[in-house]
This record gives sequence, structure tokens and C-alpha cells, in this order.
Amino acid sequence: MTAPPIAQSDPFLDELRSILGPDGVRADKPARWNRTRVPAPFPVHRWADYAPDVVVLPRTAQEIAGVVRLANRHGIPVVPRAGATGLNDGAVPLRRGIIVDVKRMNQIREIDLVDRTVTVGPGINMLKLNEELRKHGVMFPDDPASYPCSLVGGRIGTSGWSLIGGRYGHTRDLVISFEIVLPTGEIIRVGDGGGRKIRKSSTGYQLKHLFMGHQGTLGIVTEATLELVPRPEVEFAAFFHYPSFQAAYESTGALTKSGLATLAGVVLFDEWKLRYLRRDDEAYIPQAENVRAVVATAMYGTRDEVKPAARRLVRTARESGGTYLGDEVSQGDWAARHDRYATPLHGRLRTTGQVVPMSWHCEDAAINYSALPQVMEEWHAIADRIIDRYGIFDDWGMFFYTNAAHKPWGDYLVEIDIGIWEQKLDDVNWAGWVEAKHDIAAVALKYGGSITACHGATREGDAELAAEEMGGGFEVMKAIKRVLDPNNIMNPGKYELDTAYDPNAPSPFSGRRTGGN
Amino acid sequence: MLGFLLSRQRPPEARRINDDVIMRFDHVYEVAPGKMDLFPQQDIPAWDTLRIVASRWDHLAWMHDHWADSVLGVEELESEADDPDLDGIQASGVPSG
Ligand SMILES: Cc1cc2nc3c(=O)[nH]c(=O)nc-3n(C[C@H](O)[C@H](O)[C@H](O)COP(=O)(O)OP(=O)(O)OC[C@H]3O[C@@H](n4cnc5c(N)ncnc54)[C@H](O)[C@@H]3O)c2cc1C
Repeated sequence: MTAPPIAQSDPFLDELRSILGPDGVRADKPARWNRTRVPAPFPVHRWADYAPDVVVLPRTAQEIAGVVRLANRHGIPVVPRAGATGLNDGAVPLRRGIIVDVKRMNQIREIDLVDRTVTVGPGINMLKLNEELRKHGVMFPDDPASYPCSLVGGRIGTSGWSLIGGRYGHTRDLVISFEIVLPTGEIIRVGDGGGRKIRKSSTGYQLKHLFMGHQGTLGIVTEATLELVPRPEVEFAAFFHYPSFQAAYESTGALTKSGLATLAGVVLFDEWKLRYLRRDDEAYIPQAENVRAVVATAMYGTRDEVKPAARRLVRTARESGGTYLGDEVSQGDWAARHDRYATPLHGRLRTTGQVVPMSWHCEDAAINYSALPQVMEEWHAIADRIIDRYGIFDDWGMFFYTNAAHKPWGDYLVEIDIGIWEQKLDDVNWAGWVEAKHDIAAVALKYGGSITACHGATREGDAELAAEEMGGGFEVMKAIKRVLDPNNIMNPGKYELDTAYDPNAPSPFSGRRTGGN
Repeated sequence: MLGFLLSRQRPPEARRINDDVIMRFDHVYEVAPGKMDLFPQQDIPAWDTLRIVASRWDHLAWMHDHWADSVLGVEELESEADDPDLDGIQASGVPSG
């Protein structure tokens, strides 16, 4: 869909104002340009190509429904945006149009301590929510490393992954039901069956899952009913070091299969990550040369459960070759994991070792335990290639994090952290980056994995592989998209879903408009 | 109470930790200045460095408290040596640099 750009004096803006009131519509340049990118890799030299035409700040589902119906009448794209922390370009308006920023919908609507739910607007952040819930001895345990700044709407839009999902589950397990404005403006509620607070039902299709993780291509969530769990009495975090990656890898296998119910997550850091920590300053931790890989573990629960389980866990780690890194490192580093915005803002040039400003990017995948060593080698080789060829990238190492809900074994969230000197991006090295991303995603598929465990796969470079990963399911996705969004107004250009309407639809990544204001 | 003394705001002399890293305050690591020719390091007064370090500790303590009523450490587990649950845990200590 390529509607012409909206002029700032357009009567369309007056129509929007009649729905949202004057303070709910922002067409000024700062409002639009600040809502163009997210922290995912972005061609900063082409900022204007992706700036939205207008930003709306709704307060109710009815206002959003009104905006969506208006957009259908005019054929203008609509892109929901929550905390804008996505590491995929889900909230980037690839075909411009209207950004629906849900931050003003941040109310807690109900806390139900009897049936153990909390009902909120999509603009609330988990940290703020938990500050309130704490007064009642309960918690909403969705814990991404963007915990202080991502919002419930974005968690549902991405079907996010939680640091403590091995114990409590991930976003899809923790969202019981939600209200959503469909691409044609109807407002419905989806959950397991029809009940607002029912966790398991066998009535009908499992629509909750369909409307999660679609990156805003199937509607806009306006309210969500979430799980409450008892606030943990005790947190236990223990980090172990190993003389080789292989030893740490085997120990990770033993720890994850220990069957300890309070175990919330196990993370394996590779030798590149350790070299990076030794080399750098902001996260510099002095370690002996024999520290080649690290495994981090965390447990939550009652003191009666966690204490004996922690003993068992420490014994398992030691019996499989681990050496405890000490309380200070373990507890300090674990507490910092809930907020990875505190990541370095610089990297090094390979040629001279000089410091240059770099932003942090991470590529993710879901990979089975058996394939982790091969994927690690191949991903680092790809990173090596672009570091040597373009001189604006840096390899900050990899980690492997337990990925399954409630049972921390089997498959892993795999991430490689790459530094990019964004100010140096131009068409040539951006193309090199996109090719590397494509190759990284292709390796994940080659080893029977998924190209993303949590961020989504709408990015230039891996969006082209989503159809391959989905197989026959991709045709079903396209059919669903066509039926629910007949005018292709919801976040067009994502997941190559434009081909649901026109097999020859141009890629949103080519043929950009120029000279946006 | 003493007022602001410029001389007290000068960070101590740097100690070299390795080729890439120096240290002026205990446990506060900085990139070696020789690696910062393209983008020179800012001058940061001592009070500001100490404030940043202290606020990091505050932040970490706040995070622990946010997630659970208390934090259990291996050192606490191991100090209870006569506990029948201990099951043969042995202390290993933190490796030194
Ligand atoms: C430092 C850092 C650490 C991170 N760690 C993790 C992690 O551990 N786990 C993890 O899963 N992710 C992580 N992420 C990625 C990101 O935080 C998550 O993807 C998060 O779920 C995005 O939420 P958001 O509110 O920022 O959404 P946005 O970035 O604003 O939006 C994400 C997607 O959801 C859609 N969307 C937004 N609101 C709605 C709505 N109301 N209805 C429907 N769709 C909507 C958007 O269109 C977009 O496609 C991290 C990001 C950063 C920067």
C-alpha cells in the first residue's frame, strides 16, 4: 500500500482531531521523527524514508477503532507503537502513515486478588505495574531485559520472551485474555475460549495465540488481563566459570535438566563474550586466564523451596566442572540483567583497537541444545567477515538462554551482540549488514531452528526467510491477513505480507520515497 | 563543613590494569587513554564518578528488592556448614585477576 504522504494542513488531520481531540494528534516534525526508528538496526542515513506522517495518542479503544475506520476509508497505513524498544523493526512505519502511540493508555483497571488477575491498558510498563502489585504481595512476572521501558502492548505485539520464563512462562503464558481493535475497526476480546479470566479452555480456535506476536499486523490491543503470581520470598543467582566452552556447554545441559522447579533460567556465555568483558571497560570484570566461559543461573520462590534447590544446583554445577564466581559478581550481574539499556555505547575498531561510538544490536534465534556449538562458530564467522570488510562493526560475543516456558531445557534463545558505528552507515555497508543478517538467519534454519525466539522476523535481511521457515503455514498467514485486513492498512510492509494482496508487491525496503519532511 | 575544593575533584593517578584498561578509583575501570584518540574521554570530576558508581549500587539493590523479599547467596548457604541439607558443598572462592 502506498498512499500519498499526508500534507500537514490536510483535512484528514481535522478528521483525526475530531476523533481524538486536539491534544491527541501530533503532526509536528519532532513528534514524528522521534517515532521513526526503534533500537533495532536502522539505516539512519535514510531516516526520512520511514518518518510517519502523523502520530496519534489515543486514550480509549473507541478512539483507536475510530482511527482505524478512518484509515480504511482513506487507505492510510496504521502502525501501533508502545515502548518502542523492539529489536525488530515492528514499530517502524515502513510505509509511513499513522503511528498509534498507546502510552497514554497506562491505567491499572482492576486488581483481582481472588481469581489472581490484573487488568491493564496496553501502555503500562511492567516495572510500574509491579510497584503497585507489590503492595498486595503479588507480581506480574514478565521480565524482558527491557523491563523498565517496554510496555504490555508491545509485549503482546511481539509475543515476548522473559528472563525468568523457565519458571513463570513467557508473555504468551502470562497474558490470559485481551481486547483488540481489528484492522476493520471492530473491538473483540480473545483468550482461551471466551472467558476474560480463564487460563485453559477447549472452546473454539486458540485465537489468543493468533493475535500475539503479529507485530501489529492484525490489530491493536487496548486492554489485557494478566496473570498474578505470589511475590517471591527469595532470589538466588549463581554464576560459574569454566576452563572451556565445551565444559560450560555440558554443564548447562546438566543444570537445565536438573528438574528443579524454582529454576527460572540458565544462561551460557561464550568465549567471545568473555574476551569482550576482558577487553572492555564498562563491563570489565577482572578474571583469571582460565575463565573461558560462564554459566549464570537464577531461582525464585519461597525460602523453603529455594534453599535446598540452590544447594542441589550448586552441587550440579561443581560436579560438571564449574567454579563459583562469588556472590558479588553473581548478584550484581543478575540484578543488571533486567535492564540491558545499560549496555556499552562504544566498541573498538579491529585495526587499531581505538574506541568509537557504537550502538548495540543483537540478532536472536531459537536453536536446539544439540546445535548450539555449530551455530556459535558459524555466526562468529559471519560477524568476522563484516568486521574485516566494512570496519564499522564489532563482535561483542554470544549467549544461549533457556527458552522453553516452565521447563528450562531443549531449546535456547541464542543471541549475538554486534556493535555498529551507525554514523558511518551508508547504502554500501547497510547492504553488507543486511546480507549478514540474512546469513545469520539462514544458519538458524539450517540447524532446524527458528530465526527469532523473541524479537520477531520482520527485519530487512530475515523477513525474506520467514516464508521459508513457516512453509505451508505462510500461505495460511497470508489468507488470514487478507480476510482480517482487506485493505492492508495494519502495519503494511511487514513479513512480506504485502504479497498476500499482490504477488508482485514491491519490497518496502526498496523504491523509498525521498525528501520526507 | 568544607565547601567545594577543586583539588579534591581531580581523580587520583591512573593505575594500568592491562593493555586496554586503567583504574583510578578502586574497582572503577576505564578504557586506557591511548585507545581514545579518535574520541577523547571527557574530564569527569571525582564527585561525578563516585556519584555514578554509588547510584549503580543503589540501582542494583533496588532491583533485588523489586524482585524478591531477600537475596540468598552461596556464601550464606556455605556458612551453614552443620546444616544436614548441605550435601557436600565446598567453597571454591572467587578467582582473582
Ligand atoms: C535493552 C533491551 C533488552 C531487550 N530484552 C528483551 C528480552 O529479554 N525479551 C524480549 O522479548 N524482548 C527484549 N527486547 C526487545 C523488546 O523490548 C521487546 O520486543 C518488547 O516486547 C517490545 O515492547 P515495546 O513496548 O517496546 O514495543 P514496540 O517496540 O513499541 O512494539 C513492538 C511491536 O508490537 C507492536 N505493538 C505495539 N503496541 C501494540 C498494541 N497495543 N497492539 C498490537 N501490537 C502492538 C508494534 O507495532 C511492534 O510491531 C529488548 C530490547 C532492548 C532495547
